[in-house]
Amino acid sequence: MSAYLEIAGVNHSFGGLQALNDCGFAIAEGGIACLVGPNGAGKTTIFNVITGFLRPDTGHVAFRGRPLDGLTPQAIVRAGIARSFQNLRLFADLTACDNVMLALPERAGETPFGALFRPFATARADRRRRGDALQLLDHVGLAARAADRVRNLSYGEQKLLTIARLLATGAELLLLDEPASGLASGALDQVMALLRRLRGEGKTLLVVEHNTRVVQQIADEVLFLHQGHLLAQGSPAQIIADPALAEIYFGGAL
Amino acid sequence: MDYLYSYLILAEIYVLLGLSTNLLVGVVGIFSVSQAAVFGVGAYIVGDCLLSGTLSFLPALALAAVACVLLNVLISLPSLRVSGDYFVVTSFGIQLLATATFTNWTWGTGGANGMPGVPPPDLFGASIESTRGILALTTMAMTLGCLAFWLILRAPFGRKLRAIREDELAVAAAGKGVLGAKVSAAAMAGAFAGVAGGLYATYLSFIDPSSFDLDASILLLTMVVVGGARTLWGSILGPFLLLALPQALTLLAIPTTYAATSRQLLYGGLLIAFALFRPQGLLGERL
Ligand SMILES: Nc1ncnc2c1ncn2[C@@H]1O[C@H](COP(=O)(O)OP(=O)(O)OP(=O)(O)O)[C@@H](O)[C@H]1O
Ligand SMILES: [Mg+2]
Repeated sequence: MSAYLEIAGVNHSFGGLQALNDCGFAIAEGGIACLVGPNGAGKTTIFNVITGFLRPDTGHVAFRGRPLDGLTPQAIVRAGIARSFQNLRLFADLTACDNVMLALPERAGETPFGALFRPFATARADRRRRGDALQLLDHVGLAARAADRVRNLSYGEQKLLTIARLLATGAELLLLDEPASGLASGALDQVMALLRRLRGEGKTLLVVEHNTRVVQQIADEVLFLHQGHLLAQGSPAQIIADPALAEIYFGGAL
Repeated sequence: MDYLYSYLILAEIYVLLGLSTNLLVGVVGIFSVSQAAVFGVGAYIVGDCLLSGTLSFLPALALAAVACVLLNVLISLPSLRVSGDYFVVTSFGIQLLATATFTNWTWGTGGANGMPGVPPPDLFGASIESTRGILALTTMAMTLGCLAFWLILRAPFGRKLRAIREDELAVAAAGKGVLGAKVSAAAMAGAFAGVAGGLYATYLSFIDPSSFDLDASILLLTMVVVGGARTLWGSILGPFLLLALPQALTLLAIPTTYAATSRQLLYGGLLIAFALFRPQGLLGERL
Protein backbone atom coordinates (compact mmCIF):
# COMPACT_ATOMS: atom_id res chain seq x y z
CA MET A 1 0.00 0.00 0.00
CA SER A 2 1.29 3.44 -0.83
CA ALA A 3 1.72 6.13 1.80
CA TYR A 4 -0.70 9.01 2.29
CA LEU A 5 1.81 11.71 1.37
CA GLU A 6 5.10 10.57 -0.06
CA ILE A 7 8.11 12.64 -1.02
CA ALA A 8 11.04 10.96 -2.72
CA GLY A 9 14.47 12.10 -3.87
CA VAL A 10 13.71 15.81 -4.03
CA ASN A 11 16.65 18.06 -4.86
CA HIS A 12 16.46 21.77 -5.34
CA SER A 13 19.10 24.47 -5.63
CA PHE A 14 18.77 28.23 -5.56
CA GLY A 15 21.75 29.31 -7.60
CA GLY A 16 24.63 27.60 -5.84
CA LEU A 17 22.73 26.88 -2.64
CA GLN A 18 21.33 23.37 -2.30
CA ALA A 19 18.15 23.98 -0.28
CA LEU A 20 16.85 20.43 -0.64
CA ASN A 21 19.21 17.51 -0.82
CA ASP A 22 17.72 14.10 -1.63
CA CYS A 23 14.82 14.96 0.60
CA GLY A 24 12.38 12.12 1.16
CA PHE A 25 9.77 11.12 3.72
CA ALA A 26 6.25 9.82 4.04
CA ILE A 27 3.47 10.60 6.43
CA ALA A 28 0.37 8.61 7.31
CA GLU A 29 -3.22 9.75 7.20
CA GLY A 30 -4.60 11.35 10.36
CA GLY A 31 -2.62 12.92 13.15
CA ILE A 32 -0.20 15.77 13.46
CA ALA A 33 3.29 15.48 12.06
CA CYS A 34 5.73 18.20 13.05
CA LEU A 35 8.49 19.21 10.69
CA VAL A 36 11.42 20.59 12.66
CA GLY A 37 14.93 21.69 11.85
CA PRO A 38 17.24 24.68 12.19
CA ASN A 39 16.72 27.91 10.25
CA GLY A 40 17.38 27.39 6.58
CA ALA A 41 16.91 23.61 6.79
CA GLY A 42 14.51 23.71 3.84
CA LYS A 43 11.18 23.35 5.64
CA THR A 44 9.43 26.12 3.75
CA THR A 45 11.07 25.01 0.52
CA ILE A 46 9.67 21.48 0.80
CA PHE A 47 6.22 23.01 1.47
CA ASN A 48 6.63 25.00 -1.73
CA VAL A 49 7.52 21.83 -3.62
CA ILE A 50 4.59 19.82 -2.25
CA THR A 51 2.06 22.55 -3.03
CA GLY A 52 3.26 23.25 -6.56
CA PHE A 53 4.76 26.69 -5.92
CA LEU A 54 8.22 25.43 -6.72
CA ARG A 55 9.17 22.87 -9.33
CA PRO A 56 12.08 20.86 -7.89
CA ASP A 57 15.18 20.07 -9.92
CA THR A 58 14.51 16.37 -9.37
CA GLY A 59 12.25 14.17 -7.27
CA HIS A 60 8.63 13.23 -6.83
CA VAL A 61 5.64 13.97 -4.65
CA ALA A 62 2.63 11.67 -4.46
CA PHE A 63 -0.62 12.02 -2.56
CA ARG A 64 -2.78 8.93 -1.97
CA GLY A 65 -0.63 7.21 -4.56
CA ARG A 66 -1.29 9.84 -7.20
CA PRO A 67 1.73 11.76 -8.50
CA LEU A 68 1.47 15.53 -8.09
CA ASP A 69 4.52 16.42 -10.16
CA GLY A 70 3.92 19.35 -12.47
CA LEU A 71 0.45 20.21 -11.15
CA THR A 72 -0.42 23.86 -10.50
CA PRO A 73 -1.04 25.07 -6.93
CA GLN A 74 -4.70 25.32 -7.85
CA ALA A 75 -4.89 21.68 -8.94
CA ILE A 76 -3.08 20.58 -5.80
CA VAL A 77 -5.62 22.35 -3.59
CA ARG A 78 -8.34 20.54 -5.50
CA ALA A 79 -6.50 17.28 -4.91
CA GLY A 80 -6.83 17.96 -1.19
CA ILE A 81 -3.63 19.66 0.00
CA ALA A 82 -3.56 23.26 1.17
CA ARG A 83 -0.85 25.31 2.85
CA SER A 84 -0.42 28.40 4.96
CA PHE A 85 2.46 30.83 4.74
CA GLN A 86 5.11 31.63 7.31
CA ASN A 87 4.47 35.33 6.60
CA LEU A 88 0.67 34.82 6.58
CA ARG A 89 -0.07 36.49 3.23
CA LEU A 90 -3.57 37.52 4.25
CA PHE A 91 -5.49 40.05 2.16
CA ALA A 92 -4.98 43.02 4.46
CA ASP A 93 -7.55 45.31 2.82
CA LEU A 94 -10.32 42.71 2.88
CA THR A 95 -12.40 41.78 5.89
CA ALA A 96 -11.73 38.62 7.86
CA CYS A 97 -14.92 37.15 6.42
CA ASP A 98 -13.92 38.00 2.83
CA ASN A 99 -10.54 36.36 3.35
CA VAL A 100 -12.29 33.12 4.25
CA MET A 101 -14.98 33.41 1.58
CA LEU A 102 -12.34 33.80 -1.08
CA ALA A 103 -10.91 30.40 -0.26
CA LEU A 104 -14.20 28.50 -0.29
CA PRO A 105 -14.39 26.13 -3.26
CA GLU A 106 -15.55 27.70 -6.52
CA ARG A 107 -19.25 27.75 -7.24
CA ALA A 108 -21.48 29.55 -9.70
CA GLY A 109 -21.20 33.33 -9.57
CA GLU A 110 -17.49 33.43 -9.36
CA THR A 111 -17.27 34.13 -13.06
CA PRO A 112 -17.86 37.61 -14.47
CA PHE A 113 -20.64 36.14 -16.56
CA GLY A 114 -22.58 34.98 -13.52
CA ALA A 115 -21.97 38.26 -11.75
CA LEU A 116 -23.39 40.26 -14.67
CA PHE A 117 -26.19 38.12 -15.98
CA ARG A 118 -27.36 36.16 -12.95
CA PRO A 119 -26.99 38.79 -10.23
CA PHE A 120 -29.74 37.46 -7.97
CA ALA A 121 -28.57 33.86 -8.06
CA THR A 122 -25.04 35.13 -7.47
CA ALA A 123 -26.12 37.17 -4.45
CA ARG A 124 -28.02 34.21 -3.02
CA ALA A 125 -25.04 31.88 -3.49
CA ASP A 126 -22.82 34.48 -1.88
CA ARG A 127 -25.07 34.71 1.17
CA ARG A 128 -24.69 30.96 1.61
CA ARG A 129 -20.94 31.31 1.28
CA ARG A 130 -20.98 34.04 3.91
CA GLY A 131 -22.80 31.64 6.22
CA ASP A 132 -20.17 28.96 5.62
CA ALA A 133 -17.38 31.46 6.19
CA LEU A 134 -18.91 32.71 9.44
CA GLN A 135 -19.08 29.13 10.66
CA LEU A 136 -15.40 28.64 9.95
CA LEU A 137 -14.55 31.92 11.68
CA ASP A 138 -16.57 30.80 14.66
CA HIS A 139 -14.66 27.53 14.61
CA VAL A 140 -11.35 29.34 15.09
CA GLY A 141 -12.81 31.81 17.57
CA LEU A 142 -12.97 34.85 15.29
CA ALA A 143 -16.72 35.19 14.79
CA ALA A 144 -16.71 38.60 16.47
CA ARG A 145 -14.10 39.98 14.06
CA ALA A 146 -15.79 38.81 10.83
CA ALA A 147 -16.53 42.30 9.51
CA ASP A 148 -13.17 43.82 10.47
CA ARG A 149 -10.44 44.46 7.98
CA VAL A 150 -7.46 42.20 8.45
CA ARG A 151 -5.10 45.14 8.97
CA ASN A 152 -6.99 45.90 12.18
CA LEU A 153 -6.67 42.41 13.63
CA SER A 154 -4.02 41.51 16.19
CA TYR A 155 -1.18 39.23 15.14
CA GLY A 156 -2.70 36.33 17.04
CA GLU A 157 -6.05 36.87 15.34
CA GLN A 158 -4.34 37.01 11.97
CA LYS A 159 -2.68 33.67 12.65
CA LEU A 160 -6.04 32.13 13.52
CA LEU A 161 -7.50 33.66 10.37
CA THR A 162 -4.86 31.95 8.20
CA ILE A 163 -6.08 28.66 9.63
CA ALA A 164 -9.71 29.52 8.91
CA ARG A 165 -8.76 30.43 5.34
CA LEU A 166 -6.92 27.13 5.04
CA LEU A 167 -9.94 25.20 6.28
CA ALA A 168 -12.16 27.00 3.78
CA THR A 169 -10.38 25.27 0.91
CA GLY A 170 -11.86 22.01 2.14
CA ALA A 171 -8.47 20.31 1.87
CA GLU A 172 -7.90 17.19 3.97
CA LEU A 173 -4.12 17.59 4.33
CA LEU A 174 -3.09 20.91 5.82
CA LEU A 175 0.49 22.16 5.68
CA LEU A 176 1.00 24.86 8.30
CA ASP A 177 4.17 26.92 8.23
CA GLU A 178 4.90 28.03 11.81
CA PRO A 179 1.31 28.61 12.90
CA ALA A 180 2.37 29.17 16.52
CA SER A 181 5.49 31.29 16.14
CA GLY A 182 5.50 34.74 17.68
CA LEU A 183 2.43 34.14 19.82
CA ALA A 184 2.04 34.95 23.51
CA SER A 185 1.06 32.02 25.69
CA GLY A 186 -2.70 32.67 25.62
CA ALA A 187 -2.90 32.75 21.84
CA LEU A 188 -0.43 29.87 21.67
CA ASP A 189 -2.72 27.65 23.73
CA GLN A 190 -5.62 28.66 21.50
CA VAL A 191 -3.74 27.63 18.35
CA MET A 192 -2.60 24.33 19.87
CA ALA A 193 -6.13 23.50 20.98
CA LEU A 194 -7.38 24.32 17.48
CA LEU A 195 -4.81 22.06 15.81
CA ARG A 196 -5.79 19.19 18.10
CA ARG A 197 -9.43 19.79 17.34
CA LEU A 198 -8.72 19.65 13.61
CA ARG A 199 -6.96 16.34 14.11
CA GLY A 200 -10.08 15.13 15.92
CA GLU A 201 -12.15 16.13 12.90
CA GLY A 202 -10.12 13.87 10.65
CA LYS A 203 -7.69 16.34 9.09
CA THR A 204 -4.07 15.40 8.61
CA LEU A 205 -1.62 18.12 9.61
CA LEU A 206 2.00 18.70 8.72
CA VAL A 207 3.22 21.54 10.89
CA VAL A 208 6.51 23.40 10.86
CA GLU A 209 7.28 24.29 14.44
CA HIS A 210 10.36 25.57 16.26
CA ASN A 211 9.15 25.51 19.84
CA THR A 212 10.00 22.10 21.38
CA ARG A 213 7.36 22.54 24.08
CA VAL A 214 4.71 22.95 21.39
CA VAL A 215 6.08 19.99 19.43
CA GLN A 216 5.92 17.82 22.52
CA GLN A 217 2.35 18.80 23.17
CA ILE A 218 0.82 18.39 19.72
CA ALA A 219 2.98 16.08 17.60
CA ASP A 220 2.13 12.44 16.97
CA GLU A 221 5.27 12.20 14.91
CA VAL A 222 8.31 14.39 14.33
CA LEU A 223 10.37 14.75 11.16
CA PHE A 224 13.79 16.31 11.50
CA LEU A 225 15.13 18.14 8.48
CA HIS A 226 18.72 19.32 8.25
CA GLN A 227 20.44 20.92 5.27
CA GLY A 228 17.62 19.90 3.02
CA HIS A 229 17.73 16.26 4.01
CA LEU A 230 15.52 14.22 6.34
CA LEU A 231 17.79 13.13 9.21
CA ALA A 232 15.33 11.41 11.46
CA GLN A 233 11.67 10.56 11.88
CA GLY A 234 10.04 9.26 15.07
CA SER A 235 7.99 9.97 18.13
CA PRO A 236 8.49 13.36 19.83
CA ALA A 237 10.17 11.69 22.77
CA GLN A 238 12.66 9.85 20.53
CA ILE A 239 13.60 12.90 18.52
CA ILE A 240 13.88 15.30 21.42
CA ALA A 241 15.92 12.82 23.46
CA ASP A 242 18.49 12.33 20.68
CA PRO A 243 21.60 14.26 21.71
CA ALA A 244 23.01 14.38 18.18
CA LEU A 245 19.85 16.09 16.87
CA ALA A 246 19.79 18.47 19.83
CA GLU A 247 23.33 19.45 19.01
CA ILE A 248 22.35 20.27 15.41
CA TYR A 249 19.20 21.98 16.45
CA PHE A 250 20.59 24.19 19.16
CA GLY A 251 24.07 24.41 17.68
CA GLY A 252 26.43 26.51 19.73
CA ALA A 253 23.63 27.63 22.00
CA LEU A 254 23.99 24.62 24.30
CA MET B 1 -27.54 75.21 -22.10
CA ASP B 2 -25.59 73.61 -24.92
CA TYR B 3 -22.52 74.23 -22.90
CA LEU B 4 -23.91 72.24 -19.97
CA TYR B 5 -25.04 69.40 -22.26
CA SER B 6 -21.64 69.20 -23.85
CA TYR B 7 -20.02 69.01 -20.41
CA LEU B 8 -22.41 66.27 -19.28
CA ILE B 9 -21.92 64.20 -22.44
CA LEU B 10 -18.14 64.34 -22.22
CA ALA B 11 -18.18 63.67 -18.48
CA GLU B 12 -20.39 60.62 -18.99
CA ILE B 13 -18.08 59.27 -21.68
CA TYR B 14 -15.16 59.81 -19.33
CA VAL B 15 -17.03 57.96 -16.57
CA LEU B 16 -16.95 54.89 -18.83
CA LEU B 17 -13.22 55.43 -19.25
CA GLY B 18 -12.86 55.98 -15.51
CA LEU B 19 -14.63 52.68 -14.85
CA SER B 20 -12.35 50.97 -17.33
CA THR B 21 -9.22 52.40 -15.70
CA ASN B 22 -10.49 51.83 -12.18
CA LEU B 23 -11.27 48.20 -12.92
CA LEU B 24 -7.86 47.51 -14.40
CA VAL B 25 -5.63 49.72 -12.25
CA GLY B 26 -7.66 50.19 -9.07
CA VAL B 27 -9.32 46.81 -8.62
CA VAL B 28 -6.98 44.28 -10.21
CA GLY B 29 -3.79 46.31 -9.85
CA ILE B 30 -2.68 46.06 -13.49
CA PHE B 31 -1.03 49.47 -13.66
CA SER B 32 -1.82 50.49 -17.20
CA VAL B 33 -0.79 53.87 -18.59
CA SER B 34 -2.22 53.07 -22.02
CA GLN B 35 -5.99 53.13 -21.53
CA ALA B 36 -6.31 56.17 -23.81
CA ALA B 37 -4.81 54.08 -26.63
CA VAL B 38 -7.63 51.54 -26.29
CA PHE B 39 -10.12 54.42 -26.15
CA GLY B 40 -8.62 55.71 -29.39
CA VAL B 41 -8.89 52.38 -31.18
CA GLY B 42 -12.59 52.29 -30.29
CA ALA B 43 -13.05 55.83 -31.57
CA TYR B 44 -11.24 55.25 -34.86
CA ILE B 45 -13.03 51.94 -35.55
CA VAL B 46 -16.44 53.53 -35.13
CA GLY B 47 -15.33 56.61 -37.07
CA ASP B 48 -14.06 54.51 -39.97
CA CYS B 49 -17.13 52.28 -40.09
CA LEU B 50 -19.56 55.19 -40.10
CA LEU B 51 -17.56 57.31 -42.55
CA SER B 52 -17.26 54.49 -45.04
CA GLY B 53 -20.84 53.44 -44.41
CA THR B 54 -19.89 49.79 -43.93
CA LEU B 55 -21.74 49.50 -40.62
CA SER B 56 -24.39 51.48 -38.80
CA PHE B 57 -23.77 52.82 -35.30
CA LEU B 58 -24.68 49.89 -33.06
CA PRO B 59 -22.86 47.20 -35.04
CA ALA B 60 -19.86 49.54 -35.32
CA LEU B 61 -19.94 50.08 -31.56
CA ALA B 62 -20.11 46.33 -31.02
CA LEU B 63 -17.17 45.82 -33.38
CA ALA B 64 -15.20 48.49 -31.51
CA ALA B 65 -16.02 46.83 -28.18
CA VAL B 66 -14.90 43.41 -29.40
CA ALA B 67 -11.71 44.79 -30.92
CA CYS B 68 -10.90 46.67 -27.71
CA VAL B 69 -11.58 43.57 -25.61
CA LEU B 70 -9.03 41.66 -27.68
CA LEU B 71 -6.58 44.55 -27.70
CA ASN B 72 -6.80 45.18 -23.96
CA VAL B 73 -6.35 41.49 -23.18
CA LEU B 74 -3.36 41.41 -25.48
CA ILE B 75 -1.68 44.47 -23.99
CA SER B 76 -2.44 43.34 -20.44
CA LEU B 77 -0.83 39.96 -21.04
CA PRO B 78 2.66 41.14 -20.05
CA SER B 79 1.24 41.88 -16.59
CA LEU B 80 0.79 38.15 -16.13
CA ARG B 81 4.51 37.64 -16.57
CA VAL B 82 6.31 40.74 -15.37
CA SER B 83 5.68 42.33 -12.01
CA GLY B 84 4.07 45.72 -11.36
CA ASP B 85 6.90 48.14 -11.98
CA TYR B 86 7.96 46.53 -15.23
CA PHE B 87 4.45 46.43 -16.54
CA VAL B 88 4.26 50.22 -16.30
CA VAL B 89 7.25 50.36 -18.63
CA THR B 90 5.72 47.99 -21.21
CA SER B 91 2.42 49.81 -20.95
CA PHE B 92 4.19 53.12 -21.53
CA GLY B 93 5.72 51.63 -24.67
CA ILE B 94 2.32 50.47 -25.89
CA GLN B 95 0.93 53.98 -25.46
CA LEU B 96 3.79 55.46 -27.47
CA LEU B 97 3.32 52.86 -30.20
CA ALA B 98 -0.38 53.64 -30.37
CA THR B 99 0.19 57.39 -30.62
CA ALA B 100 2.72 56.83 -33.39
CA THR B 101 0.21 54.66 -35.25
CA PHE B 102 -2.66 57.11 -34.82
CA THR B 103 -0.42 59.94 -36.05
CA ASN B 104 1.16 58.19 -39.03
CA TRP B 105 -1.35 55.72 -40.34
CA THR B 106 -3.07 58.36 -42.45
CA TRP B 107 -5.21 55.88 -44.37
CA GLY B 108 -6.93 54.53 -41.25
CA THR B 109 -6.95 57.51 -38.92
CA GLY B 110 -6.39 60.63 -40.97
CA GLY B 111 -3.05 60.98 -39.25
CA ALA B 112 -2.11 64.12 -37.38
CA ASN B 113 -4.79 66.09 -39.24
CA GLY B 114 -7.41 63.98 -37.60
CA MET B 115 -10.62 62.40 -38.86
CA PRO B 116 -13.32 64.97 -39.61
CA GLY B 117 -16.95 64.46 -40.44
CA VAL B 118 -17.80 61.39 -38.42
CA PRO B 119 -21.59 61.07 -38.75
CA PRO B 120 -23.73 61.32 -35.62
CA PRO B 121 -24.89 58.09 -33.98
CA ASP B 122 -27.98 56.42 -35.31
CA LEU B 123 -30.34 53.99 -33.68
CA PHE B 124 -32.52 51.66 -35.73
CA GLY B 125 -32.24 53.80 -38.85
CA ALA B 126 -32.89 57.17 -37.16
CA SER B 127 -29.95 59.51 -36.87
CA ILE B 128 -29.52 61.22 -33.50
CA GLU B 129 -28.66 64.78 -34.34
CA SER B 130 -29.76 66.69 -31.26
CA THR B 131 -27.44 67.19 -28.31
CA ARG B 132 -30.23 66.03 -26.04
CA GLY B 133 -30.54 62.79 -27.95
CA ILE B 134 -26.84 62.15 -27.61
CA LEU B 135 -27.00 62.99 -23.92
CA ALA B 136 -29.72 60.37 -23.53
CA LEU B 137 -27.50 57.88 -25.34
CA THR B 138 -24.41 58.55 -23.25
CA THR B 139 -26.48 58.56 -20.07
CA MET B 140 -27.77 55.13 -20.96
CA ALA B 141 -24.31 53.84 -21.77
CA MET B 142 -22.90 55.26 -18.54
CA THR B 143 -25.73 53.78 -16.49
CA LEU B 144 -25.17 50.35 -18.00
CA GLY B 145 -21.44 50.65 -17.38
CA CYS B 146 -21.99 51.67 -13.76
CA LEU B 147 -24.41 48.81 -13.25
CA ALA B 148 -21.91 46.31 -14.65
CA PHE B 149 -19.10 47.73 -12.51
CA TRP B 150 -21.26 47.57 -9.38
CA LEU B 151 -22.43 44.02 -10.09
CA ILE B 152 -18.86 42.88 -10.63
CA LEU B 153 -17.50 44.50 -7.49
CA ARG B 154 -20.12 43.06 -5.20
CA ALA B 155 -19.88 39.53 -6.61
CA PRO B 156 -17.42 36.83 -5.56
CA PHE B 157 -15.61 37.60 -8.80
CA GLY B 158 -14.97 41.15 -7.57
CA ARG B 159 -13.64 39.81 -4.28
CA LYS B 160 -11.26 37.60 -6.21
CA LEU B 161 -10.04 40.55 -8.27
CA ARG B 162 -9.35 42.60 -5.13
CA ALA B 163 -7.53 39.67 -3.59
CA ILE B 164 -5.42 39.29 -6.73
CA ARG B 165 -4.33 42.91 -6.44
CA GLU B 166 -3.15 42.26 -2.89
CA ASP B 167 -1.47 38.90 -3.27
CA GLU B 168 -1.64 36.64 -6.32
CA LEU B 169 0.27 33.86 -4.65
CA ALA B 170 -2.17 33.72 -1.75
CA VAL B 171 -5.05 33.51 -4.22
CA ALA B 172 -3.35 30.55 -5.90
CA ALA B 173 -2.79 28.95 -2.50
CA ALA B 174 -6.52 29.25 -1.86
CA GLY B 175 -7.04 27.07 -4.93
CA LYS B 176 -8.19 29.87 -7.20
CA GLY B 177 -7.07 30.60 -10.74
CA VAL B 178 -5.48 33.98 -11.24
CA LEU B 179 -4.94 34.08 -14.99
CA GLY B 180 -8.56 33.73 -16.08
CA ALA B 181 -9.73 36.40 -13.66
CA LYS B 182 -7.13 38.89 -14.84
CA VAL B 183 -7.95 38.24 -18.47
CA SER B 184 -11.69 38.68 -17.81
CA ALA B 185 -11.10 41.97 -16.03
CA ALA B 186 -8.89 43.24 -18.84
CA ALA B 187 -11.59 42.22 -21.31
CA MET B 188 -14.27 44.17 -19.46
CA ALA B 189 -12.04 47.21 -19.17
CA GLY B 190 -11.42 46.98 -22.91
CA ALA B 191 -15.13 46.84 -23.71
CA PHE B 192 -15.80 49.95 -21.61
CA ALA B 193 -13.02 51.88 -23.33
CA GLY B 194 -14.13 50.76 -26.80
CA VAL B 195 -17.72 51.88 -26.25
CA ALA B 196 -16.50 55.18 -24.80
CA GLY B 197 -14.38 55.68 -27.92
CA GLY B 198 -17.32 55.10 -30.24
CA LEU B 199 -19.52 57.55 -28.35
CA TYR B 200 -16.72 60.11 -28.31
CA ALA B 201 -16.10 59.93 -32.06
CA THR B 202 -19.76 60.24 -32.99
CA TYR B 203 -20.46 63.04 -30.54
CA LEU B 204 -17.51 65.25 -31.49
CA SER B 205 -17.58 64.18 -35.15
CA PHE B 206 -13.89 65.09 -35.25
CA ILE B 207 -11.14 63.07 -33.60
CA ASP B 208 -7.39 63.37 -33.70
CA PRO B 209 -4.47 61.65 -31.93
CA SER B 210 -4.23 64.31 -29.21
CA SER B 211 -7.30 62.87 -27.47
CA PHE B 212 -5.68 59.46 -27.18
CA ASP B 213 -2.10 60.23 -26.16
CA LEU B 214 -0.11 59.73 -23.00
CA ASP B 215 -1.53 62.91 -21.47
CA ALA B 216 -5.01 61.46 -21.92
CA SER B 217 -3.96 58.20 -20.25
CA ILE B 218 -2.53 60.15 -17.35
CA LEU B 219 -5.73 62.18 -17.12
CA LEU B 220 -7.62 58.89 -16.73
CA LEU B 221 -5.29 57.83 -13.93
CA THR B 222 -5.74 61.23 -12.30
CA MET B 223 -9.50 60.72 -12.39
CA VAL B 224 -9.13 57.42 -10.54
CA VAL B 225 -6.74 58.90 -8.00
CA VAL B 226 -8.92 61.96 -7.33
CA GLY B 227 -12.24 60.11 -7.33
CA GLY B 228 -10.85 57.15 -5.43
CA ALA B 229 -9.99 53.60 -6.39
CA ARG B 230 -12.31 50.61 -6.30
CA THR B 231 -15.61 52.39 -5.74
CA LEU B 232 -18.40 53.21 -8.14
CA TRP B 233 -18.92 56.71 -6.71
CA GLY B 234 -15.24 57.48 -6.98
CA SER B 235 -15.26 56.45 -10.65
CA ILE B 236 -18.18 58.79 -11.29
CA LEU B 237 -16.98 61.76 -9.27
CA GLY B 238 -13.44 61.81 -10.70
CA PRO B 239 -14.41 62.50 -14.35
CA PHE B 240 -17.18 64.96 -13.49
CA LEU B 241 -14.86 66.92 -11.24
CA LEU B 242 -11.79 66.92 -13.45
CA LEU B 243 -13.70 67.95 -16.54
CA ALA B 244 -15.37 70.78 -14.62
CA LEU B 245 -12.11 72.21 -13.31
CA PRO B 246 -10.81 73.61 -16.64
CA GLN B 247 -14.19 75.33 -17.07
CA ALA B 248 -13.80 76.82 -13.62
CA LEU B 249 -10.36 78.03 -14.68
CA THR B 250 -11.84 79.92 -17.62
CA LEU B 251 -13.85 81.92 -15.08
CA LEU B 252 -10.55 83.14 -13.71
CA ALA B 253 -10.01 84.86 -17.05
CA ILE B 254 -6.71 83.20 -17.82
CA PRO B 255 -5.57 84.11 -21.35
CA THR B 256 -6.32 81.28 -23.77
CA THR B 257 -2.66 80.86 -24.66
CA TYR B 258 -2.06 79.71 -21.09
CA ALA B 259 -5.21 77.62 -20.81
CA ALA B 260 -3.68 74.33 -21.97
CA THR B 261 -0.62 74.80 -19.80
CA SER B 262 -2.65 75.75 -16.78
CA ARG B 263 -4.76 72.62 -17.25
CA GLN B 264 -1.65 70.43 -17.22
CA LEU B 265 -0.41 72.29 -14.14
CA LEU B 266 -3.71 71.74 -12.43
CA TYR B 267 -3.87 68.03 -13.20
CA GLY B 268 -0.25 67.50 -12.25
CA GLY B 269 -0.68 69.39 -9.01
CA LEU B 270 -3.81 67.41 -8.15
CA LEU B 271 -2.03 64.13 -8.80
CA ILE B 272 0.80 65.04 -6.45
CA ALA B 273 -1.45 66.52 -3.78
CA PHE B 274 -3.75 63.51 -3.68
CA ALA B 275 -0.92 60.99 -3.71
CA LEU B 276 0.65 62.77 -0.75
CA PHE B 277 -2.31 63.91 1.31
CA ARG B 278 -5.33 61.90 0.33
CA PRO B 279 -4.29 58.62 -1.31
CA GLN B 280 -7.78 57.20 -0.93
CA GLY B 281 -9.19 59.91 -3.19
CA LEU B 282 -12.45 61.67 -2.41
CA LEU B 283 -14.77 58.68 -2.37
CA GLY B 284 -12.63 55.59 -2.64
CA GLU B 285 -9.65 53.64 -1.41
CA ARG B 286 -5.95 54.08 -2.01
CA LEU B 287 -4.71 52.96 -5.39
N1 LIG C 1 13.64 31.97 -3.35
C1 LIG C 1 14.85 31.69 -2.82
N2 LIG C 1 15.97 32.12 -3.44
C2 LIG C 1 17.18 31.86 -2.93
N3 LIG C 1 17.40 31.14 -1.81
C3 LIG C 1 16.32 30.68 -1.15
C4 LIG C 1 14.99 30.95 -1.61
N4 LIG C 1 14.12 30.37 -0.76
C5 LIG C 1 14.87 29.79 0.20
N5 LIG C 1 16.20 29.95 -0.02
C6 LIG C 1 17.28 29.43 0.78
O1 LIG C 1 17.07 28.03 0.91
C7 LIG C 1 17.37 27.60 2.20
C8 LIG C 1 16.18 26.91 2.80
O2 LIG C 1 15.20 27.90 3.04
P1 LIG C 1 13.81 27.60 3.74
O3 LIG C 1 13.04 28.86 3.69
O4 LIG C 1 13.20 26.40 3.15
O5 LIG C 1 14.25 27.30 5.24
P2 LIG C 1 13.34 27.01 6.50
O6 LIG C 1 13.70 25.67 6.98
O7 LIG C 1 11.93 27.26 6.19
O8 LIG C 1 13.90 28.09 7.51
P3 LIG C 1 13.15 28.98 8.59
O9 LIG C 1 13.07 28.15 9.82
O10 LIG C 1 14.06 30.14 8.76
O11 LIG C 1 11.83 29.36 8.04
C9 LIG C 1 17.82 28.82 2.98
O12 LIG C 1 19.23 28.85 2.99
C10 LIG C 1 17.28 29.96 2.21
O13 LIG C 1 18.10 31.10 2.32
MG1 LIG D 1 10.53 28.62 6.76
